[in-house]
Amino acid sequence: MRLEKCWFCSSTIYPGHGIQFVRNDAKIFRFCRSKCHKNFKMKRNPRKVKWTKAYRRLHGKDMTQDATFEFERKRNRPERYDRNVTENTLKAIKKIDKVRVDREARHHAKRMKGKKAQLQREAAKELEQSIHMVKAPAALQQEPSLTLPKLKVKVSQQQTEDNRMEE
Amino acid sequence: MAASNSSKLFRVGRSILGGLSNNAFGASRTASELTHMDFLSQQQRTFIQMRTNLKVVDNSGAKRVMCIQALKGRKGARLGDVIVASVKEAHVGGKVKKGDVHYAVVVRAAMQRGRCDGSEVKFDDNAVVLINKQGEPIGTRVFGPVPHELRKKKHLKILSLAEHIA
Repeated sequence: MRLEKCWFCSSTIYPGHGIQFVRNDAKIFRFCRSKCHKNFKMKRNPRKVKWTKAYRRLHGKDMTQDATFEFERKRNRPERYDRNVTENTLKAIKKIDKVRVDREARHHAKRMKGKKAQLQREAAKELEQSIHMVKAPAALQQEPSLTLPKLKVKVSQQQTEDNRMEE
Repeated sequence: MAASNSSKLFRVGRSILGGLSNNAFGASRTASELTHMDFLSQQQRTFIQMRTNLKVVDNSGAKRVMCIQALKGRKGARLGDVIVASVKEAHVGGKVKKGDVHYAVVVRAAMQRGRCDGSEVKFDDNAVVLINKQGEPIGTRVFGPVPHELRKKKHLKILSLAEHIA
């Protein structure tokens, strides 16, 4: 059984799921669920719909180039059955999947890290160049409006009452 | 049907116009596009029943036939079923003439049909291949894709003549 990819969202279609539409030029469009089929009927472009794999790949949200994707690719060459090869393949699937997940996590971490460094750089630059933000201590003493007013908070004698209740 | 479509047009048009009031021209264009495809693709597809017009996708000479009887199913014929069809339009000099009555196999149907594994398949249009009483195709060529379910229905000749099998 071949696991196909959804034309719209690129998720895996397991046997017995989804619907396929055959256009008159014999191009087959497979959809994983009615959500994807309906979006296709509405003539939406998967590259412009944010939740699809196509959008995420195009906008650098997901990993695009990786050696692990090569294993998943569709091959049209028939392979002669060999028990040992099958066994090794089944073992390799787990390992390759782990590698892929790790690399994706690293990609995500890298993607999230970039913004923080940029913000920090910008803040440092602002602090260095925008001297007008800094006020001299003498100016603050002369002008009380520049500093926050000090609030006086009453501290009540709650603790003694609590102690009495316990006794 | 027409009434529901027009009401949908009104609603869609209004919502888009409300959102983009400053760009009236662009908004009206998108609205018309939306309703056009809405009409084409969101229509409910049904069985092939009496008076359904179907395209003929072989070289028997017929261009368009009308279903006059579905031989299976209470509601009508589906993908792979046999119907009785009357030829409505035909090429001159073909094997069949206008007004002839023939058996035909539905090789493409716009209504979805469940497959043996539980998924579904649907096509662009409703199309048939004319067959004789023995179940052999009248023409010698078949155009466009046909479903592999025809094998189960014992129309092997059509499958071998077909360009693409979906």
